[in-house]
Amino acid sequence: MEGFLPLEWCIVWWLIALPCLVYGVWRLKKVMDADREALPLLGVTGGFIFILSSLKLPSVTGSCSHPTGTGLSAICFGPWITSVICAIVLLFQSLFLAHGGLSVLGANIVSMGIVGPCVGYAIYRLLKDTSVNVYVTVFLATALADMFTYIVTSFELALAYPADVGGFGTSFIMFMGIFAVTQVPLAIVEGIVLALVFKYIVALKPDILVRMNVFSESQIIAARGEA
Amino acid sequence: MAKYMLEILALVAILAFCGLFLYTSSTMEGAEFAGSDNVGSGLIAELSGKPLDSFVPLIPQYEPPSGEIEACLFALQAALGGIFVGGVFGYWLGQKKSLTETKVN
Repeated sequence: MEGFLPLEWCIVWWLIALPCLVYGVWRLKKVMDADREALPLLGVTGGFIFILSSLKLPSVTGSCSHPTGTGLSAICFGPWITSVICAIVLLFQSLFLAHGGLSVLGANIVSMGIVGPCVGYAIYRLLKDTSVNVYVTVFLATALADMFTYIVTSFELALAYPADVGGFGTSFIMFMGIFAVTQVPLAIVEGIVLALVFKYIVALKPDILVRMNVFSESQIIAARGEA
Repeated sequence: MAKYMLEILALVAILAFCGLFLYTSSTMEGAEFAGSDNVGSGLIAELSGKPLDSFVPLIPQYEPPSGEIEACLFALQAALGGIFVGGVFGYWLGQKKSLTETKVN
């Protein structure tokens, strides 16, 4: 939403986003140098960010929003590399679609590319070495990465536009009512669809997931047997 | 878990999502299904007390001249993602196949 965020806030979010992107590019180069077979995996997980973030879907609030697709990439490559892919998608949408804009790009990268994937990655790390089913882990990580993207969007807007009565808190709840509530059904469907996609990655290329230590070998073998 | 558990779950979820949309669009009054961005812009205008028109891009921005062109560009983005995904799955499938074939030979 170009023009809807005051200049000072645009600068704040850009300053947070830029170092993360630089670190992401460095990480990306490191991962690609270490294992060329990681590139196709990046193609799949990044491809889903392209696809899912272009789908504007209707929701219970009577308005439309789009899923983010960032969770899968966050699980396989971590949040920083994911933020680089997101930045590419968001730049495309800013330049050609008037969806977002160059001044608010920093804020959008923070919500969709950094905090969302970080939350997804944190959940994945938390559940990875427990007995929780691999696909349940993927579902929770991807659905919550999607949800938190919009919670952060609400947070960013509420900081810039605190309500006259009640200030930041009231604003935050009002923006959450628009962005986060709309997102709930979308996040659930996205989580299930990406868990299904993960099943196909496990079926076709289990060795890359083991080699990159996304899940342990025994977890992948168990995951191939079920679902 | 059953063999096609996730496929069935995904199908059910998508069908439920469609059902939810049909229910919402038929019962909710004034549901326009505009982008939540637009609804959010309305709230920003309300909170800041400035009219919606007064928000102009800080950096000049290209805007698709019509909904058709916007849809075209969004479809292009999705297609690009689809090419990546389909290409890689095909590459992996071929790799797997040639691997099993060399084992047999």
